[in-house]
Amino acid sequence: MILINLISLSLLYYLKKSSGAQEFPERLHRYFKYGMIAAGVLIALGISNAPPEILFELLSFVLVGAVIYLMLNTPELVYLKTLAITPLPIVGVKLLEYLVRTISPAIFEIVENYLDAAGVFAFIWAVTMWLNHRKQMKEIEIERIITKEQERQLRQTEEQKSQLELLVAERTSEILSQKEELQHALDHLRATQEQLIQQEKLASLGQLTAGIAHEIKNPLNFVNNFSELSADFLHEISEEMPKIPDSPEKENILDLLENIKSNLAKIRHHGSRADSIVRSMLMHSRGGTGTMDPTDLNALIREYSNLAFHGMRANPNPINVDIQLSLDENLPKIKLNSEDFSRVILNLVKNAFDAMREKLSAKNPEYKAKVEIRTRDLGDKVLIEVEDNGPGVPDQIRDKLLMPFFTTKKGTEGTGLGLSITHDIIKSHEGTLEIKSEEGKFTCFSILLPKSTE
Amino acid sequence: MKILVVDDERDVEALFRQKFRKEIRNEGLELLFAFSGKEALEILEKNNPPQVASVFSDINMPGMSGLEMLDIIKDRFPQLRVNMISAYGDADNYRKAMRSGARGFYTKPVDFESLRREIGEILRS
Ligand SMILES: [Mg+2]
Repeated sequence: MILINLISLSLLYYLKKSSGAQEFPERLHRYFKYGMIAAGVLIALGISNAPPEILFELLSFVLVGAVIYLMLNTPELVYLKTLAITPLPIVGVKLLEYLVRTISPAIFEIVENYLDAAGVFAFIWAVTMWLNHRKQMKEIEIERIITKEQERQLRQTEEQKSQLELLVAERTSEILSQKEELQHALDHLRATQEQLIQQEKLASLGQLTAGIAHEIKNPLNFVNNFSELSADFLHEISEEMPKIPDSPEKENILDLLENIKSNLAKIRHHGSRADSIVRSMLMHSRGGTGTMDPTDLNALIREYSNLAFHGMRANPNPINVDIQLSLDENLPKIKLNSEDFSRVILNLVKNAFDAMREKLSAKNPEYKAKVEIRTRDLGDKVLIEVEDNGPGVPDQIRDKLLMPFFTTKKGTEGTGLGLSITHDIIKSHEGTLEIKSEEGKFTCFSILLPKSTE
Repeated sequence: MKILVVDDERDVEALFRQKFRKEIRNEGLELLFAFSGKEALEILEKNNPPQVASVFSDINMPGMSGLEMLDIIKDRFPQLRVNMISAYGDADNYRKAMRSGARGFYTKPVDFESLRREIGEILRS
């Protein structure tokens, strides 16, 4: 009987010990504990031979049966199947022995030898099974180690993979930002290239213009010189004419001479028109000369707007204009090529006069022509605005306004170079020119010049 | 008094003859014309010293330019007064002409009043 309980105890002890690696649920631990206590109690009872022995013996078989049942029917313990069936023949033989002895001690005497032999076989079976179990356990352990190693490698791979992914993501974003930078640089390059082409075109246009201007200048000089000469001769002739007696023929001659005189005046007028175009063209194509000196911009504006006004008054078709100057008196001196920049002021103011003359001739009695010139210190830049309340500029031609040879002025007025030259000069000062306008209301030319820090 | 005018434009002759009509008629001015530097040098070399009081020459001419001609004239006839006339009123041509010994420098379109003063001066000297 002690043997049975020892089997229970050692099975439970083994189970409890092997739980370290396997992590059995709490329920099983409780079973192990109570089972071991029960086995211990039964062993103590067995040693003391306390009655009723038969009941304790039965309980011992129930306990070992319960332990084996537990081992065979609990999913967590299924791997211990071999161990569970190891003591089974011993328990069976002992149970049979117990039953036979309890029911009929006489029969027991007869079969005792057989039972002993069965006990030996059961023991051999148990040893075999035990060895088998040990082998299985080793295999399981090796498998467990292999699995563990595989898991470790898997985890490592997983880790490396996530590290790699992180690296890839990092690189990808780096490459993306580089791509963006490159795209930006490429765009910039393209824009610069376009500008260069444009400048190249303008430069060759400039050379062409200069060439044409020079070629035209000589014949034009002849036209002007000979028409002047002829006018002089006509003057001499008209001085001589009174010496000839009056006659119908003389009348006719005087009449014809009068026509020639007016024709010559026209030739002279158009000749000087062409001459001023040629001169503008030459001015336009000439390279930048002159130096940039600190200049009192307000004084320059006062002087040249005044000059533009008096020039306009002295020329054909003068108009009445109210010129208002609102100049920022705290403006510091600006580095300018004052010779060039005075042309900017002259051109813009003259342009305003011409635009307003157009509106005036549209016979609007309410209309009073007004030009306002403003300067303002914007910190790192200086703003210069020339605003007129003339007819304004339609949107569709605003962009063309700064192109060479583009003019809205009718007939004999403009060369189409004034604003183009103005723009070139502003650009050579690293400034910008912007045109704001509302048709019928106003046109405002805004110049932004950088303040030099020197 | 002879004055030589050098210009590749043939109409310069008509222009000068008409402009200085009075001087030619009344003050003994005689205008000679050459239409290239080479032709001008031929005229000058007919007599030594040349019978010409002064030369007025264009700069921009095909073949020999006015400035090249000026150097040759100044080399052979250092006393001869040479005035340059140029459509290119640029500082570079002006400097070159003056360094080569030109007496005056006129830009086109020619201011005939100052030219008349200069010629008047030559006529009186
Ligand atoms: Mg020429």
